[in-house]
Formats: sequence, structure tokens, C-alpha cells
Amino acid sequence: MIATIAFAAMIVSGVIQVIYLLRRQRKIDPFSHYILLAAAVLLLTVTIDRSIRIRFVAVTNTFESLVFFSAVIALVLFVYRLRAKDRTIPYINFGATMVAIALLAVASSPIAPKDVAPPIPALQSYWLVLHVTLSFIGESFFVVAFICAIYYLTTGDEERKKNLDRLTYTTIAIGYPIFTVGALIFGAVWAQNAWGAYWSWDPKETWALITWLVYTAYLHTRFVKKFRGRVSAVLAIVGFVFTIFTFFGVNYLLAGLHSYA
Amino acid sequence: MKALYKFFKSAKLAVIIILIIAVLSIISTLIPQGRDAAFYFHTYGAFWAQVILTLDFDDFFRSILFLIPVGLFFINLSVCAVDRLVNRERRKARRRYGPDLIHVGLLLLIIGAMFSVFARIESLVYMGEGDEIQLQGRYLIRLLDYEYKEYANGRPKDWISTVEVRRNGELMIASFPIEVNKPLRIGGVRIYQTSFAREDRAQLRDKDGISRPISNGQGFELEGAVVIFRGIEGNTAVFEQWEDHSRTAIYRTGIGETIGEYTVAELGSRDVTGLKAVKDPGFIPVAIALIIVAAGLTLTFVQKRKDRDI
Repeated sequence: MIATIAFAAMIVSGVIQVIYLLRRQRKIDPFSHYILLAAAVLLLTVTIDRSIRIRFVAVTNTFESLVFFSAVIALVLFVYRLRAKDRTIPYINFGATMVAIALLAVASSPIAPKDVAPPIPALQSYWLVLHVTLSFIGESFFVVAFICAIYYLTTGDEERKKNLDRLTYTTIAIGYPIFTVGALIFGAVWAQNAWGAYWSWDPKETWALITWLVYTAYLHTRFVKKFRGRVSAVLAIVGFVFTIFTFFGVNYLLAGLHSYA
Repeated sequence: MKALYKFFKSAKLAVIIILIIAVLSIISTLIPQGRDAAFYFHTYGAFWAQVILTLDFDDFFRSILFLIPVGLFFINLSVCAVDRLVNRERRKARRRYGPDLIHVGLLLLIIGAMFSVFARIESLVYMGEGDEIQLQGRYLIRLLDYEYKEYANGRPKDWISTVEVRRNGELMIASFPIEVNKPLRIGGVRIYQTSFAREDRAQLRDKDGISRPISNGQGFELEGAVVIFRGIEGNTAVFEQWEDHSRTAIYRTGIGETIGEYTVAELGSRDVTGLKAVKDPGFIPVAIALIIVAAGLTLTFVQKRKDRDI
């Protein structure tokens, strides 16, 4: 129920954003980000409520992961909107809100069972909690970078391009260390503790590594004149597509150890 | 030499190698790893199976195709790490040590991982209550108790194997519960709760009256063939006879009946716990490497914030 209200709030925020974006006088809407904040708080309430019921941090299945992921995206967007200095922010906020809505749509679909169930033995580890939460926090910044990069490739305005390139870089520069520590380092520590192997080349692990390699490549394109700009933007987009594939595609298209989340 | 140094220190080369490793890894996840040759012929047809097997795509992460780009990456990273240091001294440039730490950490990680690839040993044993295993010649591990707990909805909650450890005959640990996510560490070896099974056992007696216990999966020779005990069905023991990789007969033998030179004396089953013992000399260097990388990432982040770069 609370999750449904949050989902509705997110949609309302998206509608308000699009109305303001389509209006002629180009005025930035003054309150849609507060609705995003409310949605984030509601989603985190869902996480807390489920955590109390299962007596463990509720990030142990697809539904719970998506709720947490969307909440963090909404929070990140709220903060960026508060600090907004240029005219590109409302567009980026709108694009990223659409991503969060899409994730919640998947969460509400039958793909993500909503049973409130305590975790199986392999998942009963606080390394897993750190692994999952930090991965999603890092990936939330990748969502913003993804939208910026798409906008970068589609706009002709040089001033905007410069701002968008900068914002793509800063969001990845924030998300990358959080993602690396969460997805790869804490993931390895958890795997070592649970299975006795810090790395087993399971498809989900391999795809997380591939995603990390793409963002690593992105950060290094900034040092190569030829790659800066277009190639960088393409990598920021590919990185996010791979992030999503690592989360969903591997579960449904490839088999492996991570079949539960 | 100078040209080679210049070639390997380039960030462009780094980007290209990283992307090559990424693309090769993608292909590897599309092809199931570690199956037998027949699987690839059956799934992909003769030509592609040949390509996969020739290029070792069935064991990709140990193949030349993967290890050569990783080797190049290692050289590229080493040269860059050295170059950053030298250049900074020369130019007295602003000191950002974070990326240096990340690079050094990654180099150590690759070295540690190589130790794991070539020197890691693991073995899985199934133990019933009272069973003992030897570890590294010095330790004797005895299973005191094995417990399986379920949630109300029937999902597994925990598997606990309680063991006693003796070193050179002396009691070292009186009781340690090994659980999933809570391994036991002794003498550089970690023991993990991995699986559980129901084990069927048959007590066989030969013509001289000597008994021989046998568990499912184990076998004995019979007139040039191998007979495997498959388990218990009803009140009979099921045996399969194998000759030249094909099954030639199935026998169902009750208590008191004979199979070859043996008479089945007793049948029974029990719960067994699957414990995995792992010795990985690569783990410590990898753990140190991960700490260095994490420290490097944190430092880079802090310095970038300080410089108002992000």
C-alpha cells in the first residue's frame, strides 16, 4: 500500500515536471522535487517496515532491492534539484524520474514477488547488506550520468554540452567509488565468507566487473583528447545499460549464483 | 625502449585494453563455461564448437585469450603507476595520491588472483554425526552434531555443523558451530558449510564374513565391470552395473540376498553435511589489495572534493 502511494507520488512528480518543461515561459517548477522527496521517504518506510518484519535489512529480493534503488534515485534527484545552478537540471530530473518510475513499475509487476520472507542462510550476512545498499547508491548516480549523457548527445547547444559533460563526469566520479566498494569489494568479502571464494566468475559477478570496466574506461577517456566528449558520453550510456543488465538481464537470461536477487 | 615506454604509459591504450577485456568477458558470459565437448557440439554445431574449444572459450578466464589482455593491462598499469610518480617528482605537480593507491592495489590484486588461480585448493566432504576427517596431517575434525532449521514457511533458515578439532591428538576446539557465512578457520584453512544430503548406506558382507560398508555413489568391481550403489528404494538396495561408460544392468537386492560375492546384511540412511575445506594462498594479498583500492578510492574522492573537481 505505502509502496503504491510512493509510486503514485513519483508519477505525479513526473507529470508536474513535464508540464513545466512544455510551458513556453521556461519557468523551473518549484515543488515537484518535494514530491520526489516524499516518495523517497515513503519507499524507505517500506524498507524499514519489511526490515522489522523479517528481522533483517530488507534488501534480499528483487522487490526490496527495487524499492531501495528507486528511493535513493529520488533522494539524489532531490539534492541535485536543490543545488541546481543551470537550466539543464529540470530535463535531467525528468529523465531520471522516468527511470525511477520504470524501476517501480517492474517492482509492482509479477516479475518481482512481494512475499515478506526472511532471508535464506547465504543472505544472512551484513556484508551482503553493505554490498547491496552501496551498489544501489553508486548506481543511482549512474542514472543521472546516463540521462546527462543522452542529453549531451542530442543537444546542439555548446554551453549546455559543456555543463552536461561536466555533470556526467561529476556524477560518475561520485558513483564510481561507491559502486566499486559496494558491488566489487564488499561483494567479494561476502562471497569469501559465504562460499569460500571471493570471485567465481559467475555471470552476475562477471557482468558487474564488465560494468565497472566500462566506467573505469569512462574515467580514463577524460585524459585522452580524442575520446573526451562523444566517446565519454557513449561509455556513460553503455555503463548504465550494463548496470541494468547486470541487475535484471543476468537473472532472467543467464543462470548463476545470484538467482535470488 | 623509449617508444615502448611511451606506448605503454598511454591512457588511450588503457581505455582500449579495458574495453577489449570487457568485450571478451561479455562473450564468455554468453557461452556456458566448463561443460564437456559434447555440450558445445550439441548446442552450437561442429564449426562453432571447434572455435569455442580451440580458443578455450569454455574455460575463458584461464585461457590465453583472457590472460594476454590482462597481462597487457598489468604492464600498462605498472608503467602508468611509475610514470605518474616520476612525473610528479619532476614537475612538482599537485599531489593526488589516490589514483596511485588504486593502481598499486589493482596490480597487487592481479598478482594475488594469480596465486588463487594456480594454488587454491578446495575439497568437499560429506560427514555424518561421529565421522572424522584429517586435515593437513595435524588436525582431526569430528562432527558432533548436524542441525537443519526451517522457517515456518518451509524455507531454509540455517544449517549448523558442530565440530570438535584436535591438533596432534590434543583437544584444540571443543565445539565450534560452522554455519553458512560463519566458516571455521584452522591452520590457514577455512571450512565452510556448503550443502547437505541424505546418505543411503548398505552393509555388505563377503564370503569370509567380513563386512564392508558402502554409501551411495560408491562401488566395487564385479567380473570386469563396476557396480555402483545408487541408494535404497523401499527395502532394496539399487545397484547399477557399468561397463565401458555404459550402464549394462540394474540390480535390486534385498537384505539377505547376494550381489556378486557380497551379501547385503543391513540397509540404512542418515543425514550428512557437506563441508568445504578451502586453502587459498591468494586470499591475503587480494584482501590487502582490496583495502588499498578502497583507501585509494576514498582518498581520490576527498581530494577531488577539496580541489572542487566534483
